[in-house]
Amino acid sequence: MEESEGDHPPEMQQVSLDHNDDLFQSALQEEAPLDNNSDIFAEESVTSDPTGQAPIQQSGVPTSLPSSRMHRVTTAELQQHGANGDDQYVRVSITEPQKMGEGMGAYMAYRVSTQTNMQFYKKSNFSVYRRFSDFLGLHDKLTEKYLRSGRIIPPAPEKSMIGSTKIKMSNQSDQGASADFIERRRAALERFINRTANHPILRVDPDFRDFLESELELPKATNTSALSGAGVIRLFNKVGETVNKITYKMDESDSWFEEKVQQVENLDAQLKNMLTRVEALVYQRRELSQCTASFGKSVAMLSNCDEHNSLSRALSQLAEVEERVEHVYAEQCNADFGILCELLKDYVALVGAIKDVFHERVKVYQNWQHAQVVLNKKREAKAKFEIMGRTDKINQANDEVVEWESKVERGQEEFENISRMIKKELERFELVRIQEFKVTLINYIESLMQNQQQLIQIWESFLPEAKAIA
Amino acid sequence: MLQDDSPDASEQSSINKKSNKSETVDLTDNSLVVDISDALSEKDKVKFTVHTRTTLPEFAKTDFLVVRQHEEFVWLHDRFEENEEYAGYIIPPVPPRPDFDASREKLHKLGEGEGTMTKEEFAKMKQELEAEYLATFKKTVAMHEVFLIRLANHPIFRNDHFFRVFLEYDQDLCVRSKNKKELFEGLVKSFSKTSDELLLSATQKDNDDFFEKEKDFLLEYHSHLRDATAKADKMTSRHQDVADSYIKISTGLNQLATSDHPELEKFFTKVSDTFEKARKLEGRVASDEDLKLSDTLRYYMRDSFAAKQLLYRRLRCLADYEQANKNLDKARTKNKDIHAAELAQQQACDKFEQISIKAKEELVEFKKRRVVAFRKNLVEVAELEIKHSKAQVQLLKNCLESLKEEME
Repeated sequence: MEESEGDHPPEMQQVSLDHNDDLFQSALQEEAPLDNNSDIFAEESVTSDPTGQAPIQQSGVPTSLPSSRMHRVTTAELQQHGANGDDQYVRVSITEPQKMGEGMGAYMAYRVSTQTNMQFYKKSNFSVYRRFSDFLGLHDKLTEKYLRSGRIIPPAPEKSMIGSTKIKMSNQSDQGASADFIERRRAALERFINRTANHPILRVDPDFRDFLESELELPKATNTSALSGAGVIRLFNKVGETVNKITYKMDESDSWFEEKVQQVENLDAQLKNMLTRVEALVYQRRELSQCTASFGKSVAMLSNCDEHNSLSRALSQLAEVEERVEHVYAEQCNADFGILCELLKDYVALVGAIKDVFHERVKVYQNWQHAQVVLNKKREAKAKFEIMGRTDKINQANDEVVEWESKVERGQEEFENISRMIKKELERFELVRIQEFKVTLINYIESLMQNQQQLIQIWESFLPEAKAIA
Repeated sequence: MLQDDSPDASEQSSINKKSNKSETVDLTDNSLVVDISDALSEKDKVKFTVHTRTTLPEFAKTDFLVVRQHEEFVWLHDRFEENEEYAGYIIPPVPPRPDFDASREKLHKLGEGEGTMTKEEFAKMKQELEAEYLATFKKTVAMHEVFLIRLANHPIFRNDHFFRVFLEYDQDLCVRSKNKKELFEGLVKSFSKTSDELLLSATQKDNDDFFEKEKDFLLEYHSHLRDATAKADKMTSRHQDVADSYIKISTGLNQLATSDHPELEKFFTKVSDTFEKARKLEGRVASDEDLKLSDTLRYYMRDSFAAKQLLYRRLRCLADYEQANKNLDKARTKNKDIHAAELAQQQACDKFEQISIKAKEELVEFKKRRVVAFRKNLVEVAELEIKHSKAQVQLLKNCLESLKEEME
């Protein structure tokens, strides 16, 4: 019945194509302390980057990674790696949702169970309990660490005021109202974690590991709360970012990006369109299901008052048929929603994450350009001093020029790195998406088929009853 | 609006003929055969071409046509209803007024939304709506035909003078639909009739067990039938909505196919195709359920109402008879007009006995008829559901096979 839960992400082909490259990178990561003070850009909060991001963790210290190792991944390569027998995996299931606490302080906790064959983790089978805000906190941490370098971070389910209120307000007896919501959230969390666990780099991130492994309660991620002070700040920052997105026009020299940005916009529109249509189908089917039940009941009434024996029996059988048919429709409705709708919603969110990473690149570009502008000014100043013969100032000016030259260099490097990374991430994303869409559509068609087969059975059992009317 | 010159109503009519033939008529009797050979829909009216073939000497010709509108059918029904001689019979229920309002509204909405959808989508939805319109049209033709056929097959009704006029008179019957005053009068009359009915059924003691039971049964049965008909209609209409939403999914997938990654293109196209075929099947399920389930319930709802009317007429007769008895007693005590009173009482008694005999026959007939009709339609609906579901399973299996090939 719940065939949609966490089925697709873990079963997709493991995308471990970058294994060789990225092991190297992640090893570097472990060595270099994450509060790396090579945050050369810390003082550069003068950039139009209003998030004023504190120490940005950079993945892979940009030094000597030979660019020849970055290669375009072909589908063939993916399939080769996928067919590799010693594929590594991390599979997570989220279960046992339970309400903890009472009143306004109440929250949902979930059991997070992991199975893995990776050495990175202490054991191969383990589970912990986490609350919803822990998931959001994890997502935030990963974003902080990896967005800047161009990684696409799988989005977490959204906080829903209505949903959390339902949970807080419900008591033991009143399970129905929130049960649906809880199940949907559980499934969404499962997909989120598994998508992250599928990512060759994210899955060997120490914070991710802690999330899955650590028996300790995680520090409460208070700034994920929508109403907290940090939440309000985030809201402001979001607005600022949006303004930035609109106002800053990057001079795009890479046609690949030009094309991709367009494609992503297009995909976004299409997915949203499809989502609306599928939601309409869900609605109609639910209505049909209810009407069928209602009809069944009225047939039962008819059967009761009919004095002709065999007709009365046949009618009561018909009433039962309609009841069973209603269940089939309800199942189908769940599949419509659980399989198709949720897939589309997830991908709309993922496309959002892609847009975020595109935007990061623009910011990196801005940084670089800004450094270039400052460098020019410094050079001008130095030249001026030289002309004026101000030997006292020349040395300092020289130092500044050198300083800014290296900043420009680093800016450019960062830009090239992020561009490279995004290309890789996008290619991986596309492969994963194609696979997931195919698998999901097949699942869906199978659900349709199974339900039709049930209908056949139901009506076939009724036919002899109808024929038996004498 | 749509003009339908040669609907496939003959198919429908032959099915209905069998289910509604009275058992007292020889099935091979061809002395009076009536059908609706053609129908035209223009603006607000539907014009039915009523075709008669007959060997009866009372008619001037042996094969002839007239054109009639819905109001003329109602006129004919009213003539039967008000005829005292037919009081002991169940009068075949009048066919419902042709109602294209729902279809028309949908078409209108579609027109308004034309700008928001692709040409392909618009064309498909329009096609679907036109098919719906056509189906409604065919149904109304069938229902008017069934009405006439029942009259033609009835040993007494077929000889009715007004029936002949209806079939033969090649001019308009000059039946204007009731103006406001007449409608109001009609309403008042039916209101008083109903309260009369209630009054009688409450106070009139029936000496006959059979009729008491029948009355109770029919009251309950009719009300449940009415409820079931309404719910069936709602259900089939929702089913049609589901089929329609498949169109949008199909076209949406097509759009995705053309603009997305080439590797997904074939996939999306195949699924889109499957949805398009599936919606045709779902549409057929909806319309078959409508035809077999809803319409059967609807017909018997009307027929059971006509049966109730019969019972009411009989009760009225009984009331008259008892009144005549009282009058006779009074006359005897007063020793005045005894003969007249005796005559009146005799007449009332005869009338009542006649009506009771006929009514009993009619009611037994009615029950047999409905059992036959229900059996036939329940069997047919089950068979059709199985057939359509099997077709869908096959369709989906093919789709899955082809999709799984793509995965390799």
